[in-house]
Amino acid sequence: MPEEIDITQVDAIVAAIGRGEESVIPILQAVQAEYKYLPRPALRRVCEITEITPATLTGVSTFYTQFRHKPVGEHVVHVCVGTACHVKGAERVHEAICRELDIEKGEDTDSDGKFTVQKVACLGCCTLAPVVQIDDVTYGHVGPDGVNEILTDFLAREDRDKGKRRAAAARASAEEHGEVRIGLGSCCIASGSGDVRDELEKAVAEIAPGVAVKRVGCVGMCHRTPLLEILKPNEEPALYARVEAGDVRDIFLRHFRPGTPLERLKVRAAEWLEQLYSGETHQPVTRYAIDVRDAPVAAFLGRQKHLATECCGVLDPTDMEEYRLKDGFVALRRGLCELKPEEVIEEIIRSGLRGRGGAGFPTGQKWRYVRAAQDEPKYIVCNGDEGDPGAFMDRMLFESYPFRVIEGMILAAYAVGAHEGVFYIRAEYPLAVRRVREALERCEAEGLLGDDILGSGFSLRLRIMEGAGAFVCGEETALLASVEGKRGTPRLRPPFPAQRGLHGQPTLVNNCETYALVPWALRNGGEALAAMGTQESKGTKVFSLAGKIARGGLIEVPMGITLREIVEDIGGGIAEGRKLKAVQVGGPSGGCVPESLADTPVDYEALIGVGAMMGSGGLVVLDETDCIVDIARYFLSFTQDQSCGKCTFCRVGTRRMLDILERLCAGKGKASDLDDLEELARTVKCASLCGLGKTAPNPVLSTLEYFRDEYEAHVEGRCPAGSCNALSRYAVTDDCIGCTLCAQHCPTDAITFTPYERHRIDPDLCVRCGACKNLCPSKAITIMSGGRRVAWDQKPNVEQAANA
Amino acid sequence: MPELSIDGQNVTVEQGATILDAARAAGIDIPTLCHRDGVAAGTSCFVCVVRVNDAETLVPSCATEAGDGMRVDANGDEVIAARRMALELLLSDHLGDCVGPCQAVCPAHMNIPLMIRQIAAGDMRAAVATVKAHIPLPAVLGRICHAPCERGCRRSEKDTAVSIMLLKRAAGDTDLAQPEPYKPECAPTSGKRVAIVGSGPAGLSAAYYLLERGHACTLFDERDAAGGMLRYGVPPEELPHDLLDAEIAAIERLGAEFRFGEQVDAARLETLRNSFDAVILACGELDEERRARWPDVPLGKNGIKVNARTLAASLPGVFAAGDAVRPARKAVNAVGAGRTAALSVAAFLETGTVTGPANRFNSRIGKLLPNEVEAFMPEAVPDGRTAPGEDGGFGPEEAAGEAGRCLHCDCRKADACALRDYCEALDAKQRRFRPDNRGPFRQFRQHASVVYEPGKCIKCGLCVRITRARGESLGLAFVGRGFEVRIGVPFDEALGQALTTAAEECVAACPTGALASRNVT
Repeated sequence: MPEEIDITQVDAIVAAIGRGEESVIPILQAVQAEYKYLPRPALRRVCEITEITPATLTGVSTFYTQFRHKPVGEHVVHVCVGTACHVKGAERVHEAICRELDIEKGEDTDSDGKFTVQKVACLGCCTLAPVVQIDDVTYGHVGPDGVNEILTDFLAREDRDKGKRRAAAARASAEEHGEVRIGLGSCCIASGSGDVRDELEKAVAEIAPGVAVKRVGCVGMCHRTPLLEILKPNEEPALYARVEAGDVRDIFLRHFRPGTPLERLKVRAAEWLEQLYSGETHQPVTRYAIDVRDAPVAAFLGRQKHLATECCGVLDPTDMEEYRLKDGFVALRRGLCELKPEEVIEEIIRSGLRGRGGAGFPTGQKWRYVRAAQDEPKYIVCNGDEGDPGAFMDRMLFESYPFRVIEGMILAAYAVGAHEGVFYIRAEYPLAVRRVREALERCEAEGLLGDDILGSGFSLRLRIMEGAGAFVCGEETALLASVEGKRGTPRLRPPFPAQRGLHGQPTLVNNCETYALVPWALRNGGEALAAMGTQESKGTKVFSLAGKIARGGLIEVPMGITLREIVEDIGGGIAEGRKLKAVQVGGPSGGCVPESLADTPVDYEALIGVGAMMGSGGLVVLDETDCIVDIARYFLSFTQDQSCGKCTFCRVGTRRMLDILERLCAGKGKASDLDDLEELARTVKCASLCGLGKTAPNPVLSTLEYFRDEYEAHVEGRCPAGSCNALSRYAVTDDCIGCTLCAQHCPTDAITFTPYERHRIDPDLCVRCGACKNLCPSKAITIMSGGRRVAWDQKPNVEQAANA
Repeated sequence: MPELSIDGQNVTVEQGATILDAARAAGIDIPTLCHRDGVAAGTSCFVCVVRVNDAETLVPSCATEAGDGMRVDANGDEVIAARRMALELLLSDHLGDCVGPCQAVCPAHMNIPLMIRQIAAGDMRAAVATVKAHIPLPAVLGRICHAPCERGCRRSEKDTAVSIMLLKRAAGDTDLAQPEPYKPECAPTSGKRVAIVGSGPAGLSAAYYLLERGHACTLFDERDAAGGMLRYGVPPEELPHDLLDAEIAAIERLGAEFRFGEQVDAARLETLRNSFDAVILACGELDEERRARWPDVPLGKNGIKVNARTLAASLPGVFAAGDAVRPARKAVNAVGAGRTAALSVAAFLETGTVTGPANRFNSRIGKLLPNEVEAFMPEAVPDGRTAPGEDGGFGPEEAAGEAGRCLHCDCRKADACALRDYCEALDAKQRRFRPDNRGPFRQFRQHASVVYEPGKCIKCGLCVRITRARGESLGLAFVGRGFEVRIGVPFDEALGQALTTAAEECVAACPTGALASRNVT
């Protein structure tokens, strides 16, 4: 069937982007933005009018997951299957959505073409897990039983938005009237801060037009978003957490009063009327107020040290003036105008800074190599292709501190002698891309980028390249291939990019967090950074703390802090009073550190010593309800899916490891499986081409080492955590009061409606979604595996305890 | 110029040379599948891994630059184990039969598909040569073989198996009718002499292949005519004696000497051992009397105790074959065993050591998925089995027609496959990581000269790089990534458009049977 499309758009896209082979990814992105997928006639046209060959186009367009070759539904539902979402049941959410939309196995779009459902590696909103994104609306804490609600809400919202206009915010000086700060990171927006902002702007316009509404970057306290902070001259700041749009007016009225008596009256009358008609009285808004001095917040923030995230919760991300006021670009001036490039490098070497992308290579030394390389031109690249499921540090840094990352990058470029550079940012982070773009434009306008920066004679041009969805592009040689418009496959190192990188030229590739730490180190001196941390790991590290934790979020901690301190002090311990089982450090490249080793400090070598690695900084906390074999299977399914497919060990080896893990989780394990798995893992680790393959076995090897008994239980057909579907089943205990709540909510009718009688669950129909267990008022639903109740589910309930 | 040591051997190479180059210069063999001189490095197969300077990790030698002072371990145990694992991983995802299932199950390992293609092409002379390379009695076995090959035939999943036995009979009968029947090229006389006790199918077969290799044979039989059970156990209406005689005569023409009416007892065996260079015991099933006949020859439960691979008995210089080892009572098994014994004896005579024939590595698809047979059908004659003529056999036209029913499911590059060779050399096991489920078998036959079987592809990308380097306008591309990656034609165009001038080079470069020439015999 020939596809009817307007081909002239393709010509315009190519004219705007370029005809060279290196333009292939931006061209495909633009084509997809235009048509929502890649129609074949459009692709043929691209080949006709550019230097891009059909083979290149095919290779590239099928490599990156961003690109679709089939039409999508009207709306795209992204179900995040990142680590944090996974441990909170994302798989079941995905199943529930497909069930709700009647999408057949193997398909991704419903029969009406209304919704396309896709899994996405990580949306970077780990603290809101499980997360579902429909078009640009993000829903957090979505349970399998809540999918109907979010779909309905989305469609209702769609209708509502059609007539909505956004009021422009009036800006005035904060000193005079006060200021309301609202966090507008992706997490905050996902938990509704966009709506809160809209309400706020309405309230400001109506009640106190002089008050400034200020968006700030991520505060890190993602577990309490949306956050609203109110500052008034001569008053203590007031912080409100988990604010809902409906509460904004009340909160606002507590602090600001309408100007004239008449206005005051009007507001009060309107309020009274509303109450009268709606019949609702608002709960006092004090329940949202938190004091920065109250214990949990103090604990959350107290152990942290903000370097890369300096001024967190204060800075407007793209307000350059404010960044300047908070010592922004001081380091840049010092570096470019007072120091020679070699001296900048010396300072960084003194600081002991090591790469924050995961491997921990000494940053100063890398800069020295690039500096020493003879070839010209040299390039600089910022690796922001954060693809780890369960990590969102890079996103937060780009969104909240774009100027800081740029400043660090200019300094690095100056130090190594690069005059051209690229920000490689995941396309899945649209807000990050937008903020960095704005910041770059601002810097160019202010003479901080371009020719003769700050009169130093040094010139630098930076551009953004959006990654198109390939975790492997976090590997530097794959990233460079991607920038060159190729399939993102790594190549063997050496030669390292410092010698032969982008277009074969010496190239400095650092992670965005590394760059973000450079201004601090230069402003305060290398020694100041080196004074923090351990013998070999200096300064701070940003982590995204998520999983089964009371307080999740984005944290920056000094090196040397122990995992237990992070979990207990910052994270507030395990949620729901359960027990810590392990901390997964470093995402798919890392390992599971068991509770018994939780006193391991955050330190590159110490983490490798316990079979994990720093990685790029995902910390996912696991409790006793998490199955360790399933966690290993989860990570393997991720790396296997993200393997570029170039080398045998990674392409086929990870697949065969996954086969074994899937067999184990499905209760079909064989006695020989564990030995095969271990040998396979060791060989894949030692002989794969790149870092992805070399580290992919880590989650398996570390769990085999610390939790072998749990693997053995799976071989015997038992899942001790009661988490693997095939090895566990839900059952109703004698505590059942026959209230029928479970039967009403069971999505597959596995529970027959039998009022006042003990209910029964049909194990063949049950999909283990857990809806009944969550709902049961008498806690009468239990999980069985291998003929017994799983250990964590055996806590005696109050009545049993009373009878005893 | 860097100087390095590989497996303890020093070698100096040009700056920029890889470890693989250096190893080759030093005469050290490192296997590789994805590397080809003159084509950009792919660094994909990882069969060429080596260990450098005792590092924890292994590196592909094809892409690692040789450095001054490097110490390379190219053949240590761990290196070999990793190579074997790389091969086993490739095999776990390798969907193809090296040889046809018919050949794989044939006790004589006859190249049945080749014979069939020769018959289909009307070349009976070549067909009989193919048969006789493994079975010296085609007209005989064309009548009385129990034909396990036909039970293995993939065509039977569609309708009925190809009439392999009757095709063999046609080849044999045609040959016997020639004024000068086929006679193999025999090696010059070696001067070595072999005594064969028994002239049944095993003994005759052993004689044939020893004579072919230039070793003189004398067959001792207690009866007064050759043929063993073929003559005395099969009714003549099933196997006319004149046919049997004719095929035995062909062996006699190669130089076989027969001594009839002569029983070889223990003492006689001792003299034979002394006066001949080797003895093959092929006397048929051991009854009570025979079990007691040679006290010096150790017996097992079924018969004479032998090494299963070499068929060497426990007495030096003595071998055994056929029902004397294990009573299978199947002529084709005996013929196959006779050939195996002959090859073992030949190696023993020529080198002094008993090695036995090489066991070729064989990739197997196993059972087909439902309807999967259709993927093999496009070029096969769609009709059902050809009925034999009045005499129970095929004439030349019927034979050609029946031969056209063959699916050609054996690999077109079975003898030009680097993957197969390395798997054999490193004893890789296909079953080790074999998944429970597999993708469907597919075959692209639209190209005029190339057949593409994606299931055999190891994704090394040599063809992608070659088509790009040679400026093919469409060329081949990687489609997808990771485990699902495959080689495809851009925009799903036909293979014929992707491979034009570079077709031949791609087929030659492809290290497996994924890209193969359409016309192979």
